[in-house]
Amino acid sequence: MSPISFEELAVGYEFPATNYELSKSLIAKYLEAVGGQQYFLTSGVVPPLAIAAYAMTALSQSFSVPPGSIHASQEFEFLKLVPIGSTVSCGGKIVQKVQRGRLYLVVLEINALNQDKEKVLSGKATVAVPT
Amino acid sequence: MNQKLKLSDIHPGDSLPSVVKHITQGEINLYAEASGDFNPIHIDESFAAQTPLGGTIAHGMLILAYVSEMMTKAFGESWLSGGKLSVRFKAPARPKDTITTSGKIDSVEHKEGVPYVNCSLESCNQKGETVITGGAVVRL
Repeated sequence: MSPISFEELAVGYEFPATNYELSKSLIAKYLEAVGGQQYFLTSGVVPPLAIAAYAMTALSQSFSVPPGSIHASQEFEFLKLVPIGSTVSCGGKIVQKVQRGRLYLVVLEINALNQDKEKVLSGKATVAVPT
Repeated sequence: MNQKLKLSDIHPGDSLPSVVKHITQGEINLYAEASGDFNPIHIDESFAAQTPLGGTIAHGMLILAYVSEMMTKAFGESWLSGGKLSVRFKAPARPKDTITTSGKIDSVEHKEGVPYVNCSLESCNQKGETVITGGAVVRL
């Protein structure tokens, strides 16, 4: 599916959900990149920021981010532990798109659900996009 | 690492265990592989040199991972399944930067009998410039 253009993005637009299988090898790769925290591999729990990263990647791949866009702020809430080996479904929607001077401020709501459709993570990202 | 921090262990003003990371382009590339975020601003040095940023920068989510590491060290599973984070990205983190993430406990409040720990946090580079600033709340 081609990414939607920024111009076409409107408040209420829901991004298609993307599934991620949180395998041990994927999480080990993530932990190598962020440095240490081997606790997660020994306890079998996925780092919540890993789930957040995949959720953000899913959204950013769904629309064409104009050059010069800046990730201005971020909120996350971690709701449930997720075992390594689980599959999560990441999605979100546009909740705000306003023009302030030479910038658009776009607010995206993000969520991740586990296999039982329970929310394990929610969040909001604000992106500043040059006009 | 703490599995469950007791309320009696927590005092306003206490510092959180700081986390220090040295960022390299190699680690940024690894993070791109791990997260699937291959935005050229992070991994293509020729591309990034031609942008106003003048060079590659680390993913904001990579720096947030350091914040979460600090909160995990401080609060364990209470953070992993009861934490809230709210931050602003103030400046980019670049290869060769040393990022120090620190924080402190601001207050403890009770809502419907459940204790919540309010924290403030900051990530700074080696020049003392703020990269991330914000707060976190942990439900004990």
